[in-house]
Amino acid sequence: MKISLNWIGDFVDLSGVSAEKVSNLLSLHTAEVEGIEVYGEAIQDVVVGHVVACGQHPDAEKLSVTEVDFGGEENVAVVCGAPNVRVGLKIAFAPVGSSLPGDLKIKKAKLRGQESRGMICSERELEMSEEHDGIMELPEDAPIGVPLIDYLELRDHILELDNKSLTHRPDLWGHYGFARELSALLQRTLKPLPIDVAWPEAKSAWSVQRTDAEGCAVYSALEIELGGAPRNSNPFISRRLLAVGQRLVNDVVDLSNYVMLEIGQPTHAFDASTISGKAIEVRAAQEGESIVTLDGVDRALIPEDLVIADAKQAIALAGVMGGKHTEVSDTTERIVLEAAAFHATRVRRTAHRLALRSEASSRFEKTLDPAYAAEATARFCHLLLQDRPEAKILGVPSISAEPVADSIQLPLDPVKTSKLLGISLREEEMVSMLEGIGFSPVKKGEGYLVKVPSWRSTKDVTLPIDLVEEVGRMFGYDRIVPAALEAPVEVPVQQPQRLLARKLVNRLVLAHAAHETQSYSFLDCAWAERLGRKISDFERLDNPVLAEVSLIRRDPIPSLLEQAAGNLNEFGQGRLCEVAKGYEPQAGIEPLERRWLGVVEWGEKSLPKQGQESLFGRMRGLGEDLMRSVGVAKEQLSIQPQNAELTAPDWAHPVQTLHWSLGGQPLGWSTRVHPQLLRELDFGAHDCSILLFDLEALSVATQDRHPSFETPSRFPGIKVDVALALPDDKSYAEVEIALKKAGGKLLDSLELFDVYTGEGMADGQRSLAFRCLLRAADRTLSDKEEQKFLRKVDFAAIELGGNLRS
Amino acid sequence: MRDRLEALRRDGLAAVSESQDLDTLYGVESRLLGRTGALTAELKGLGKLSPEDRPVVGKLANEIKQALQGALDERRTAIESAELAADLAGEGLDPSLPGSNAPKGGVHPVLAIARELEDLFSSMGYVVWDGPEIETEVHNFDALNIPPDHPAREGHDTIWMDVEEGSARRCLRTHTSPVQVRALREFGAPLRVIAPGRVFRQEAQDATHDHTFHQMEGLVVDKGVGVPHMLHAMNSLLEGVFGRKLETRLRPGFFPFVEPGFELDARCPFCKDGCKVCKGSTWIELMPGGLVHPNVLIAAGLDPEEYSGFAFGLGLSRIAMLRYGINDIRWMMGGDLRFLEQFQA
Repeated sequence: MKISLNWIGDFVDLSGVSAEKVSNLLSLHTAEVEGIEVYGEAIQDVVVGHVVACGQHPDAEKLSVTEVDFGGEENVAVVCGAPNVRVGLKIAFAPVGSSLPGDLKIKKAKLRGQESRGMICSERELEMSEEHDGIMELPEDAPIGVPLIDYLELRDHILELDNKSLTHRPDLWGHYGFARELSALLQRTLKPLPIDVAWPEAKSAWSVQRTDAEGCAVYSALEIELGGAPRNSNPFISRRLLAVGQRLVNDVVDLSNYVMLEIGQPTHAFDASTISGKAIEVRAAQEGESIVTLDGVDRALIPEDLVIADAKQAIALAGVMGGKHTEVSDTTERIVLEAAAFHATRVRRTAHRLALRSEASSRFEKTLDPAYAAEATARFCHLLLQDRPEAKILGVPSISAEPVADSIQLPLDPVKTSKLLGISLREEEMVSMLEGIGFSPVKKGEGYLVKVPSWRSTKDVTLPIDLVEEVGRMFGYDRIVPAALEAPVEVPVQQPQRLLARKLVNRLVLAHAAHETQSYSFLDCAWAERLGRKISDFERLDNPVLAEVSLIRRDPIPSLLEQAAGNLNEFGQGRLCEVAKGYEPQAGIEPLERRWLGVVEWGEKSLPKQGQESLFGRMRGLGEDLMRSVGVAKEQLSIQPQNAELTAPDWAHPVQTLHWSLGGQPLGWSTRVHPQLLRELDFGAHDCSILLFDLEALSVATQDRHPSFETPSRFPGIKVDVALALPDDKSYAEVEIALKKAGGKLLDSLELFDVYTGEGMADGQRSLAFRCLLRAADRTLSDKEEQKFLRKVDFAAIELGGNLRS
Repeated sequence: MRDRLEALRRDGLAAVSESQDLDTLYGVESRLLGRTGALTAELKGLGKLSPEDRPVVGKLANEIKQALQGALDERRTAIESAELAADLAGEGLDPSLPGSNAPKGGVHPVLAIARELEDLFSSMGYVVWDGPEIETEVHNFDALNIPPDHPAREGHDTIWMDVEEGSARRCLRTHTSPVQVRALREFGAPLRVIAPGRVFRQEAQDATHDHTFHQMEGLVVDKGVGVPHMLHAMNSLLEGVFGRKLETRLRPGFFPFVEPGFELDARCPFCKDGCKVCKGSTWIELMPGGLVHPNVLIAAGLDPEEYSGFAFGLGLSRIAMLRYGINDIRWMMGGDLRFLEQFQA
């Protein structure tokens, strides 16, 4: 919202106070000022001029050639096309070198062969009104050469307020409210709003009925005879409105806007002759009802909408926009002036539904003081009669209103107030601060009972704590001095999954060159099918940002796969990880929340399909290292290939899937991504593997795990390499178990170093080569013990259907 | 035998002096003096000589052995010195060749800041807690003193869940503030807690808006807590984020769950007299906060006469954008490695 400091000056003396100071005071005590604009700057080069000669242009019928005195060293010749230019006229003159609104620069020119050195301006060219039929005519006594903005006192400072900082303050939607704040902050007198009107004796012929009383707390209607058709507003009103960015219409509508910008209360003028009957009803819209609004659009209404209706039809959309049919026109003779308090939420909903937010609706949304309606009616009449003495007020306003509520009285505890704010203020100071903004404190017991003014009572100030805010902001929050908490510090409780997640991410990033990412929680509905799931397996959005993207992910893998796919063009390989929450619906209760650690790695399809160089094998190694980093040795883990008892995740390759568990507690999976899914996601020549851990389960299973130290043996071990020829349907896991059994306690470590098929191997056989380390804690092993181990390995190989090759 | 020994001496010394490197020299040494070397063989053969010849030839053999050993040692020292000199001369070495590619991983910039702040606040006794992203209407709105007909509850601001008919409404939490009441119900008072996490708004995406972003809530409830304590906590936070003390100022702000409510501005950390970030004002609005509204304390089961508290909210995504100069919020959730790569662990 824009406020004019000249306008504020009507109510509080701002002399000697700079615009910057006003802006700063308001920002620190009231509401955020976003900027200061100097109004009139755009026309500061324009001066008062005098037409000393005027003649017909020799070659153009509609142009005149004039001589203008503008206080310069010599008079200049100016070509002018306005019909009202004549000798002796005082004009607004833009000399050569000056600039006008719209970045127009005035230069020496030749018009149809005649030299022209300057421009005589219309009001529209000066952005002072919409008037463009002729040039602006100034009074005869206007002093030649004086800047126009000084002569007309146009110079003004316009503050741009952040509307969001005003949402809770229905009193700040007009200039008067800001004047009140500034009078308190500057400790200068607040002048009353001039609203005196000589009301006629006669009763009004109009009746008002609030059928929908919930929607409208007050409705006032007043008929006025204009005493002449609507015309342009006087220059004062026009300039004020233009300065704060309000479009001009005609003097009646402009005045309605003027009052709104002054008090914050919208009013509406109907053309009285267009209303059927003299009874006005405020009611809910009927099913199927519609109205053509001022902007010419036919709008279908629903019963939540509130309308103003005459005997026949809806004539306005309450608080939002008037009806086209009853609009004030060039020929209007009598108006009915409406001033009302409409229901904030209903006005907001209607305005939003119809995409019709107006100056009026945005004010009604704030729950205006019901007392404003009468004030605005009086102010309108006061100003109208000043400008149109010929106008006649036909009766006193017809008003229908809820009973006036008792004013709110709140206790003020000065000691508590000082303590909460951390300031020291004497009681009298607090009282005078509150009085300055219209509150009335009365001493009661230890503290005070404070009467809240009606313009703050509608929703802003309703509890004792609200008074603390008033005292604090009047004192100035910027004067509060910070202080550390005094209470003793305890060791804070920690969420174990959070700590665990942090450790794992650190490990991933530092040891495994993973990049931690964040991906959206939403999934496109197509994912349900891709994962072979039903839509009902997901939590769903009622109003998604994008219609199709309406599922909440169960785990981070789909979104990580999407991110991986997005990187393929630039990065042939990569590793992303994310700590994320996933949700699964549960009938009748809140959804089940799981915390996941997801890792995805992609690379070229040309990599080996299995083994340590494969994506699948690397992911297993990565998982084992992550577990080691949280105190779990590889030997303690159970990492099982897919079997009938274990369900594989939706995206997993049917064979290359490993189920991870620890002490019977399932932890998650490492898998190769199902190739069909990769095809659908356009992975092309890339393959992808995944690790997914349930952090909750992991945190339970790994609680208080620390490595326990074992003293290394003082005795050297024996390295023995063995190669076994085995049927290729024997899995590595089976062979490893058999070898460990053969080695018994003496087998210190076992490492697969070669897998071989091909020449020298029988069909259906492969060779697995291991490096074994045998070692005992209490002795150096003998050749005999090595031989015994080899015999056992040979025996194990035979049991597996193969033999020891070497 | 004498002749053979002399030949050994002659050939041996020649071989030693011809050796150009340590490997060759070692070969020569083992050919002559090794276990199966020529001279060793001769020495073994001394026993077969007559007693008269034995001392004479033996002496000669030992002389030759010492001469050869001496020559070998001398030659080894010479070769070693030459090699060292050659190494130090560095011929053919280009010290400007690039280094090996160390593995490059990185943490997400928003979470990097969140973790720094978790550490900072933990050290001041704050619990780090989080709440569900799918939140009940009660926690997201009711308990936070947000009126039933508040516009924030409507579909143009809040993303609502599709729930079974008759069940309580749920939404994607629009702020981290619901953790205030959740944490108070979990731990009671006194309490210090921060709650970082993702939040959601019904918002069209552009350079400064996303429907998903990160916030961090802070809450302290105790007896006798007031505005100065809040200001201190906020200042500490900013010092943590920007690495130095920033001048700050409080001004009025409105949020239904605090009273009084504030906005904290800080002197622009990027300029002295106005820049693009602070829009020329030298102040930037960084953090809303306020004293916990009595209705929120009541919703959390506390007596507002006994306890008071403060709460603040930090836009983690925005702070990350400011700190790292990120020009478009959509980078944050895009997973583009060209973005993520720029942030190290």
